[in-house]
Amino acid sequence: MELAQIEELDQIPAELVGQVKESVFNTFESILGEELEYVEEGNGDGPLNGIIGNVTVFNSDHTISLMLAIPKDTALFFSKVFIGMELPFESDDMGDLVGEISNILAGDVAANVEKVGFRGQSSLPTATRGSDLTLFMPNKPPTKKMKFASENAEFLLTMVLSESN
Amino acid sequence: MSTIKALVVDDSKIMRSAVKRALNNLMLADFDYVEAKDGEDALEKFNEEEIEIMFVDWNMPNMTGVEFSQAVREQGHDHIPIIMVTAEKSMGKVDKALNEGGANEYITKPFTADKMHKAISDYFDDDGNIAGGSDGDDDEDKSFFKGILNS
Repeated sequence: MELAQIEELDQIPAELVGQVKESVFNTFESILGEELEYVEEGNGDGPLNGIIGNVTVFNSDHTISLMLAIPKDTALFFSKVFIGMELPFESDDMGDLVGEISNILAGDVAANVEKVGFRGQSSLPTATRGSDLTLFMPNKPPTKKMKFASENAEFLLTMVLSESN
Repeated sequence: MSTIKALVVDDSKIMRSAVKRALNNLMLADFDYVEAKDGEDALEKFNEEEIEIMFVDWNMPNMTGVEFSQAVREQGHDHIPIIMVTAEKSMGKVDKALNEGGANEYITKPFTADKMHKAISDYFDDDGNIAGGSDGDDDEDKSFFKGILNS
């Protein structure tokens, strides 16, 4: 897949979005142990009380940024299923957990997008905790917002395609 | 049952805990854990302790898991099992870890107890001592993996 210059794109190519969506299902169904659904109507524009996990998959030309917006209740549930106990939401360990989950997602994405010609590597993750958080990207690069839900969890993923600096 | 000194290398404390919990649950041996937060820290601890088996993440600051594994192999420690436990899943990464990094096994995150058991059980004998290593299905899996990589 040849990616056009970012300024020529008004949206992220569907093949890339499809591979990232598949990675979300691979990663989170395995972690959660329950079926995940893609929520068509979820736009993710509301403010968040929770944690945002940031990670990128990049090469010398392009960067795929992945921002996982995880509400507080879902973050607590993740800690129960991932490490077997509920971590305090305000703890450093909770940030560590969300960073690790972001890292696992990025590893799957890096392998999956290779199938459609995007060869890249994942960055180290970061996590940001807060209330009334709003995600926005300067310069409005091609962006895809996705919402996912399972029986006990819901989260948003904002995917952004930009030129690498 | 003797005690096996295991080095667990991951920049995530949560992940180090998850690896230790999984190993304890498998009850293959009685482990004494040494933890390291990146490759540099791991190399320092490796040179201070009598490490018998290692569980190593890939993507870490300062020194990656593969760079650490290469450093261990370059020191001539060919007999110590290195188990990569990583989120990196692309075939190129697996190939690099196994062939250039000298890793013995490759486990992708998130891992299950079954996945962990299948990868490492051959490295322990019935008394919980380190055994000769993988010589059964795991070798077949690895050969299969390498076959794909080489095709």
